[in-house]
Amino acid sequence: MSESSKDPMMSNKVVEVMVDSIFRKNGIKPEEVKNNLSEKQREMLKEMVTDLKAQVEEFQEKKNESKAE
Amino acid sequence: MMHKKEWRALDYCDDERNNQAEVEEAAKQKNITKQSSEEWIIIKDSEGVTVTTTDTQAAISLQVGIEVAIAVVLSITLADSDKAKAVFQDLEQVMKTKQSNRQKTIVEKSKNVNITTTDIDIAINIQLLIQLLLAIVVSLDIL
Repeated sequence: MSESSKDPMMSNKVVEVMVDSIFRKNGIKPEEVKNNLSEKQREMLKEMVTDLKAQVEEFQEKKNESKAE
Repeated sequence: MMHKKEWRALDYCDDERNNQAEVEEAAKQKNITKQSSEEWIIIKDSEGVTVTTTDTQAAISLQVGIEVAIAVVLSITLADSDKAKAVFQDLEQVMKTKQSNRQKTIVEKSKNVNITTTDIDIAINIQLLIQLLLAIVVSLDIL
């Protein structure tokens, strides 16, 4: 229950299945395309995603703070 | 028959709180002008009003940032740009690009009111977008 209140929109599983089906529909096999990435690109993308994730967490925290006041 | 005179915040100056109210009002103005045009908070003829809102502009730029990140991940990973476009289009269907809600809050002839507004639409959208991005990078073994 706590999981669903944290993600009011959709569970991670649903999003996972959705991404998988969109890839499938367009004939994309993750096992194949992930070889297109160089180690450096992978590192760069990883940094970008981690950074955005942190920003979202900060945003949610701020939102909860203002709600609690 | 005379109507009962309606109460007005600015009609009387009989307590020392009025001096304080002026100061508060100055700070409040600044707070309101920071809002994007989509959120309106109108305060008329009132005193002791406290406003707390989320910064919609920051939320929108965060949202755009995640959308761009999704596009970048797809275009780098899927060497075929037509395919990347097709995938992004399919994802867009779910991302619903509605920017934010348009809410109006009007406070009139009131005393000691606390207002807290949150743009729930955009908060949920950001949550969904980051989930999408994470699901994509996990399936591509980036994260």
